[in-house]
Amino acid sequence: MSMFLEFLTFELRFRMKSLSTWVYFAIWFAFSFLCIASESFGPVGASNGKILLNGPWANSYNALGSCLFGTIIIAAIFGTSILRDFQRDTVQILFTKPVSKTAYLGGRWAGSFITTVFAFSGMLLGTWAGTFAPWADHARIAPNHFWWYLQPFLSITVVQIFFMGSLFFTVAALTRKIFIVYLQGVAVLMIYIIGLTVYFADRSLEHFWSGILDPVGFIVFDNVTRYWSVIEKNSLLLPWDYSGNSPGVFLINRLLWASVGLISLGTLWALFPMSVEALTARSQGKRAAKARLLQEAEDLPLTAAGRSLVAARLPEVHRVFGVATSFAQYLSLTRLRIRTITRELPFWAIVGLIVAYAVNNGYYAGRVAGQNVWPVTYLMLQAVEGSSMLFFFIVATLYAAELIWRERDNGFDGIHDALPMRESIDWLSKVSAIAFVELVLLTVTMLCGMGMQAFLGYYHFEVFQYLRELYIVTFPLLLGAVFLALFVQTLVSNKFVGHGILIAIFVLQPILFSFGLENTLLLLGAIPSYTYSDMNGYGHFVAPLATAIAYWFSIFAFLGIVSIAYARRGSESSLAARTRLALLRAPRLLPVAGLFAFMALGSGAWYFYNGHVLNEYLTAKDRRKMQADYERDFKRYELFPQPKVTGVDTAINIYPERRSFDATGRFTLVNKTVSPISEIHITGNPETVVEIQFDRPSHRVSRAPRNLYSVYALEQPLNPGETLTLTFSAAHTTKGFRDGNELAQFARNGTFFDAEFLPSIGYNTGMELDDPRRRREEKLGPLQEMFPRGDEVHSRMNLFTPNSDWITFHTVVSTSPDQIAIAPGYLQREWHQNGRRYFEYGMGATRILNFPSWVSGAYTVRKEVYKGSGGPVNLEVYYDSAHPYNIDTMLASTRAGLDYLQGNFSPYQFTQFRIMEFPRYRSLAQSFANTVPFSESIGFITRLKKKDDVDLTYFVTAHELGHQWWAHQLVGANVQGSNMMSETLAQYSAYMVMQKKYGKDYMRKVLRHFLDRYLRGRSGEVRHEPPLALVQREPYVWYEKGGQIMYTLADYIGEDRITLALHNFLMQYRYANAGNTINQPYPDTRMLVDALRAQTPPELQYLIDDGFNRIVLYNNKAISATSQKQPDGKYKVVLSVQARKTQADGNGVESPMPMADYVDVGVFNGRKNDEKPLYMKREKLTEEHQTFTILVDTEPTRAGIDPYNKLIDRISDDNLIDVARK
Amino acid sequence: MALTITNLSKTYPNGVRALKNLSLTIGNNMYGLLGPNGAGKSSLMRTIATLQDADSGTITLDGLDVLRQKDEVRKVLGYLPQEFGVYPKMSAIDMLHHLAVLKGVSNAGERKEMVDALLHQTNLWDVRKKALSSYSGGMKQRFGIAQALLSNPKLIIVDEPTAGLDPAERNRFLNLLASIGREVTVILSTHIVDDVRELCSRMAIIATGEVILEGSPAEALASLKGQIWSRIVATDDELRALEAALHIVSTHLVGGEHEIRVFSPASPGAGFAQVPCGLEDVYFLQLSRHIRN
Repeated sequence: MSMFLEFLTFELRFRMKSLSTWVYFAIWFAFSFLCIASESFGPVGASNGKILLNGPWANSYNALGSCLFGTIIIAAIFGTSILRDFQRDTVQILFTKPVSKTAYLGGRWAGSFITTVFAFSGMLLGTWAGTFAPWADHARIAPNHFWWYLQPFLSITVVQIFFMGSLFFTVAALTRKIFIVYLQGVAVLMIYIIGLTVYFADRSLEHFWSGILDPVGFIVFDNVTRYWSVIEKNSLLLPWDYSGNSPGVFLINRLLWASVGLISLGTLWALFPMSVEALTARSQGKRAAKARLLQEAEDLPLTAAGRSLVAARLPEVHRVFGVATSFAQYLSLTRLRIRTITRELPFWAIVGLIVAYAVNNGYYAGRVAGQNVWPVTYLMLQAVEGSSMLFFFIVATLYAAELIWRERDNGFDGIHDALPMRESIDWLSKVSAIAFVELVLLTVTMLCGMGMQAFLGYYHFEVFQYLRELYIVTFPLLLGAVFLALFVQTLVSNKFVGHGILIAIFVLQPILFSFGLENTLLLLGAIPSYTYSDMNGYGHFVAPLATAIAYWFSIFAFLGIVSIAYARRGSESSLAARTRLALLRAPRLLPVAGLFAFMALGSGAWYFYNGHVLNEYLTAKDRRKMQADYERDFKRYELFPQPKVTGVDTAINIYPERRSFDATGRFTLVNKTVSPISEIHITGNPETVVEIQFDRPSHRVSRAPRNLYSVYALEQPLNPGETLTLTFSAAHTTKGFRDGNELAQFARNGTFFDAEFLPSIGYNTGMELDDPRRRREEKLGPLQEMFPRGDEVHSRMNLFTPNSDWITFHTVVSTSPDQIAIAPGYLQREWHQNGRRYFEYGMGATRILNFPSWVSGAYTVRKEVYKGSGGPVNLEVYYDSAHPYNIDTMLASTRAGLDYLQGNFSPYQFTQFRIMEFPRYRSLAQSFANTVPFSESIGFITRLKKKDDVDLTYFVTAHELGHQWWAHQLVGANVQGSNMMSETLAQYSAYMVMQKKYGKDYMRKVLRHFLDRYLRGRSGEVRHEPPLALVQREPYVWYEKGGQIMYTLADYIGEDRITLALHNFLMQYRYANAGNTINQPYPDTRMLVDALRAQTPPELQYLIDDGFNRIVLYNNKAISATSQKQPDGKYKVVLSVQARKTQADGNGVESPMPMADYVDVGVFNGRKNDEKPLYMKREKLTEEHQTFTILVDTEPTRAGIDPYNKLIDRISDDNLIDVARK
Repeated sequence: MALTITNLSKTYPNGVRALKNLSLTIGNNMYGLLGPNGAGKSSLMRTIATLQDADSGTITLDGLDVLRQKDEVRKVLGYLPQEFGVYPKMSAIDMLHHLAVLKGVSNAGERKEMVDALLHQTNLWDVRKKALSSYSGGMKQRFGIAQALLSNPKLIIVDEPTAGLDPAERNRFLNLLASIGREVTVILSTHIVDDVRELCSRMAIIATGEVILEGSPAEALASLKGQIWSRIVATDDELRALEAALHIVSTHLVGGEHEIRVFSPASPGAGFAQVPCGLEDVYFLQLSRHIRN
């Protein structure tokens, strides 16, 4: 025992004296401190604004993060503790003393364990210290709760240290090679990250084994907390018992991995030889044999070698120095350096990792948000380059350091430095060697990408895109990193100090960015973000990208040249001496250094001129401030009476190649209020220059900076019922390029902008900041809730265009001659004039919402005519020729949707329906009147591979078509709930269109995923969750919950009843306010709910209340099921179930509800997830526990309640269980 | 070839004065630098080999300013540092070819001839394709010698070249050096007096950064002729007494008893026998005188 203590205290003393322990501690301290005390830093801080930064969920999540990225630290501490003795040969002294194995291994292990736990406790202290920072967001900091710190630390961090540390310790002790230990650490990290990619790309709904087998814990964490409400995230810890959504998963996981740690320690104790020879000595034997051979060669007697004792004369050689020799020196050195890099294992390990990652991520390149898509080149590049990027930079910095220090590390500097060779030749060969290695890696990446494309059956290889991305964008940046690393390593006195500085530089950039330093010219090596689009190529990103690359490349190259001057040569190491040398070398280097300095200045000036002079430079915070100022200054006008827009006529000229447009237009305004209006308020877009005139005398009273808000006084007030015409000219001009934040609306191919670039009437609530964290920063107070249903003022405005009613619409739009321009309306005329192409669109007498858009692109067009009961409809798809995959699907979905919607609800109000592709700078599809712009990233590259794949294109097309009814015919008031009348009903329509094509079984599978999304959505709520009929800004409620409620209602009361209810509702309320001269109320969800209630039988009325007016969650569960074969050959099933129902409030606090609900009870045969119903009956459940006895004809395998998850249940996979045979 | 060192001084940042106003002239021959550890030999060698700057003083090599025209000096230099390592996984032959290119031996045929010759000369031919990192200390040292001689250098600086060589290889190396040294300047630093005695026509003894003796070994020996006396001393007490009374040059253990060598123009006393003087006596005598001063 005393010997154990001796080893332990020795280990601890040693560790506490070593700098690394304190560095690790400081890293964790700093990380967790910043997570609390800095704006948008860290995974929790940057996300949901309601989750406590020092709460149980945040502490657990950060503990997991530290476990994952701390793997290397665990490896470093545990691995080196035992290897130290072997590296320094102290074993020879140790093992010749009477040392017991237990004391030796135990002492070293325990010392490492305590040290590691100490290092990781920096997390606790940092978090705690962060909560006292006065500048932190104290709305998200709770009073410190000791157990919230300790429980995650014990159950996540300490267990992880025990398990991983023991494993590393064992491997280190048995192999006695530090390289293997680090390799193991890196491998664990990499394999885990690959595993995470696979797990999350597959969007698995499996929540048990995936959690238990997860060695780090992100999956188990997701499994357990996926549906936690914010309240739960701020009060619950990962349970040490069998409670919660994934009962026992966390507990079993921790026990499992702790025992793996124990087993590895046991193995070590059993196998560890107390001798100088490692367990793996046999493989080392080969090397020893080789060395012996050499020794023998040396020991050969001289005479045997047959050499004369007289020294022979050495031959004459000629020394030639000149350009040719310099070149030969350069070549020979470069070759040697490439060889030394490629002959060593780390290089091949990196190649292996790059390939492994590229293959894995490439395999999932064709999966975006759980959907299968074609692995087009930008997706594949994103996958393979994205996963390799870190390695590229590691290679750049690692080998820069290796090559700078190699001569010194190997002790060859004495010979090397006295060679007749210029420093610049030496330097150039270092750069070339690394550049060569990087080129190899880039090429490997490219080949992996193309290989995976071929593997996935995509044969459209765009080699030039690969080349441009990898060799023209990435390669210069990597070279820049090489230059920088060479520079740093040249100046510092120690390689590891250099590594530390470089890592700090890399890590610092994103941190600085999140702190608001977004200026590309100041963030070391930064380039503006860019997006490749199949439609638009690199488009407008080329100029800023090229300039930024040239700028940083030149700066780094300049530093590289400085590093030539400072190159170490000889034994002088003081900075003064090296500066003296550098000045001697400087004259020769001056021209090149001057060139790079000139290039840096030139490109920097050009970038600055574009990003800061031509365009106003605004950080994210500046932009938020602008929004906040708008709200602060003008919110008071929100209720100021304004006339409504009833007509819009515009002439728009789009200049795609200049990414600009200019416009003139006329708004018809009608005073639909009951009192005169003497001021017209205009919200402008800071991106647009606008001039406004009225058809009666007026003057401008005020105009806010950046054109945000202008007030015009009419000399003669506009009386009720009177009409006013507003004419405007507006222009958006793109000037040069910006420092990031390019407008997505304007592209050389694929312009798509809407009325937000034109002036609009009155105050626009859409400009308000909605993120609670940002509002707190701007001291704005909580976001204004939407107004309640029946509100006097807001009921008389519609949800989408509060200051317009239904309008007449006409537009002339012109564009470049090779492009087609599209806006809502029927094409009246198309002509060429002044080298431009003009299109005139008009809606004629058909009124639409004041929600137009203008689109222009070089399109391939598919047209067909739909001949339905309501007359022909022209269907048109405008798409990029590279994306022909889903045009048929879009058309088929449109036909099916028109059948369904016209057949059930009302005639289609238009005679055309058009879909047009636009670049993936934005990923959405949006339904304008008879016009649906659809992003190239959704729908156009969808690929159906498996039977169960969700046909996203079919679905989204049906959804957007649905909006032609649910939005473009029926629009709700600008009050709570109205959003669901367009989104939920469009979603429901799309479900029905899908179901008609794919059937019910398929829909059930799809709906399980939608249920998952709803439950995850509410778990990330930043304000409060409303019931469906009062939804405000919560997409997860109006899409996924709404869809589920409507689908289940249709299942319970019958689809035809729903159809009838919606038909009645639509026919009564569509085109509200279309012909009024005085504002009347628009419909709201009260009318919709009433219409549905009217079709619902009395015993199911609770479904209406639960579904629309409450947040109701079930906890249904099958407890047991047995079957017994009867004498008549039938099977008697005894099924015992549990049914619970709770009501949640907006924060997720639940209270139990009495149960008197109808729930499906079913018995099945077939395997899990492929069950075939034998018996299905809707039973009224009134007790929490009920038992059913059921007779079925065939032998059953599964039984349970609500088997198809029609009800919202947070543990959806315990509704069915296996039937036990008696 | 002639190397002239004038008033060379160097103080390291840690305050150690490695060279103190040192002047030497080295002609076209083998020149030995003798001195104890830390005498400044390596500092001097490194400075001549362009790897270190001096605080003051000059070094000229046939009109070249060694301290400024480093590139020119490097073109004619062959340098074997006192300690050096090698790259892992490189064979001797590849490395020699590579170094020959760097040293300006551009002609591939000449290069091969030279590399092969040196591999034979240094007895590394059989292991030429083996990785340098697997070489034993002696083999590595021989490789170092080979690389220093690659390009027919005009100025050869070898720092402790015989360290780690077995007696046979040491002899071979000295032979090789002697055969070259007739036409070029060879500076050999060592603390093994025999190296200098066997090889060098001129030598300097250096201690604490200063030259304490400069001349040919023969002259040095002649100056001591008949003045070295030897005697066996049985006990430590006796040795202590003699130490105080006489100028003892050195002691050796012979069969467990001290044999002392004493410098004295006349017989220092009973029991002493006159013995022939060796270079070692010169060395020790100069050192002890230097220390006394």
